[in-house]
Amino acid sequence: MWRLFGLFIIFSSTVIAQNKPLLFNVDDLPQTLMSNPGAQINFTGHVGVPLFSQIHLSAGSTGADLYDVFADDGTNINARIQRTMRDMDSRDYFSVNQQWEIISLGWKLDRKNYLSTGIYQEMDAFVYFPKDPAILANEGNSDYLNEPFYFDDVSFTGEILTVYHLGINHKFDKRLTVGARAKFYSGIFNAESTGNTGRFTTYTTPNGRNVYRHEVVDMDVLINTSGFAPLKDEEGMTVEQATAELLSRSFFGGNVGFGLDLGFSYILDEQFILSGSVQDLGAVFQRKDVENYRYFGAYETSGLEPLFPDLDENDEAIPYWDIFEDEVDRNLRDRTTNQSYTTWRPVKANFAMEYGFGPAFLPCHYLSAKKVRYMNLLGMQLSGVKRPKGFVYALTAYWDRKINENQRFKISYSLDDYSLTNIGLMYTRTFNKFNIYMAANNLLAFPNLAKAHSASIQLGMQLIFNN
Amino acid sequence: MKFFSFFLTKFTSLIAISCLLSGCVKDIDLDQREDISLSPDLQIDLLIYEIDQSQFEDPATGNLKTRISDTVRLEFLDDDYIQEDLMAVNFYFRHINTFPRPIDSKIRFLSKSNREQFAINYTIQPGASGNPITTEQYELIEEDRIGVVRRSIKMVVELEVQPGTSAFEGGLEFASKGFFSFEF
Repeated sequence: MWRLFGLFIIFSSTVIAQNKPLLFNVDDLPQTLMSNPGAQINFTGHVGVPLFSQIHLSAGSTGADLYDVFADDGTNINARIQRTMRDMDSRDYFSVNQQWEIISLGWKLDRKNYLSTGIYQEMDAFVYFPKDPAILANEGNSDYLNEPFYFDDVSFTGEILTVYHLGINHKFDKRLTVGARAKFYSGIFNAESTGNTGRFTTYTTPNGRNVYRHEVVDMDVLINTSGFAPLKDEEGMTVEQATAELLSRSFFGGNVGFGLDLGFSYILDEQFILSGSVQDLGAVFQRKDVENYRYFGAYETSGLEPLFPDLDENDEAIPYWDIFEDEVDRNLRDRTTNQSYTTWRPVKANFAMEYGFGPAFLPCHYLSAKKVRYMNLLGMQLSGVKRPKGFVYALTAYWDRKINENQRFKISYSLDDYSLTNIGLMYTRTFNKFNIYMAANNLLAFPNLAKAHSASIQLGMQLIFNN
Repeated sequence: MKFFSFFLTKFTSLIAISCLLSGCVKDIDLDQREDISLSPDLQIDLLIYEIDQSQFEDPATGNLKTRISDTVRLEFLDDDYIQEDLMAVNFYFRHINTFPRPIDSKIRFLSKSNREQFAINYTIQPGASGNPITTEQYELIEEDRIGVVRRSIKMVVELEVQPGTSAFEGGLEFASKGFFSFEF
């Protein structure tokens, strides 16, 4: 057992995760196949209610919440913003993820194979707090003499895309189930800026020619966009036209990419189950409507230097400012290009170990190889998402309880960057074959979302067949 | 068992529904967004020069030219962030003099039509070779007078050597900066 635990920890330290832990390993719900194509499942077919089989929203901020900024406590809002910005660091981040399942269906091919397919739309934005540029804009350089402002802090990714997918879940033997899902991405919009460099410093120069020396060193900031240029160039475009333009890219009209999900579940003995998955191993090739904005160079100055030339009244003064501007433009440059680029999808990984107790026999079905299920599952799950500055992890402990054949709930406690009190709850109920489910994280924060660092919700409805 | 199932069902539903339905924001006032402003204070170098007696020599006659001047356009003063968001400026000027005579310094800010908006006049104290004397001058322009900066586009620096008997030899260093307070 301890070896197993050790293996779990070692494996956990190398994996990365997802943002819907409450739907992971829920063998009654087809959505579990979206986070682990190799999950154990307990149904023989499903058809999602179009547009309503899954609506997922999550948002989070590690450094600040609404209350930090908008507290109704009589203090000055700008002072609170300043304090909040100072408290945050450049590894704090804001994230928004939204998924909307448009079509979802699946069926058992035979006793061992389950095929599932569908289409969903996803929006994902992840922005690190650009601390140094934000402080420079809000406070200026006066209180930060001799301290560099790093452009490296500018780091963000954002994308909107439609995903077409086809997955197979294969029961290899009594113990092992594996699965894979191929994905075709149709990009609607993308913007990213990562790996930037450079710093701006105002040095005091007691022995220098002026009071200060302003210095920009090693600046190289690149912002890639796709799908943005046509919207920007089209003057007078209405919201409806812009929406139509974006939607047209959903259907193979935009930038395309390919990805893969892989997963497994393995029954160690009757009661211990290991499972893991990797999602979105893939990339989108941004080739259409691409614009890249690059700012680069180095420069230093201590001011303009008049030369006191011997001019008479009719002579033109020396254009010091124009000379200065030309020099700045030669050394600090910006360039707009249309070079294709590739964006890697934020890879997610999950690893879970669960222990079942309270066995119950499943109804006999010729397509179903699974005979026993457990009414209670206690589990630990490590999940993570690859982001520009590293993996973002969450560790979740959960109790998954089947109340009866038609109802089930899962209660979880997660440790993540957002909160130490993240309690989640999932509830699913099936009326004959019609299933509805709802899951929400960080429930303790719901009574006052202003003080919440994160919240997420998933809900949906579908037909699930198991006989 | 039935009781347990019933209890779990109701309890779960109650918790989920009460948490989700009670989802709201409290203790905050979003109307405060109207009051949000950025207020950076920027230290910016302006002009520098370092001159010696050759600068005061009339190229035609070789005699001492007691008054010299130069004009520098500060185009940034015409930018939107100055015109709309500048709240105050504190100018700082510093001369380090080794000329043995006092020199009158006149720093004038002119509009596009060369109309003087404001001027800072002071006398640079005499120094000596090996004994540089520093003269510092501040000029604070607050919100009530900030229009004079917004209307300015040129900075004129003028130096006028005061009469004296000692040989006019030495050097003069000038440094200047502005402490610009904005509110966006």
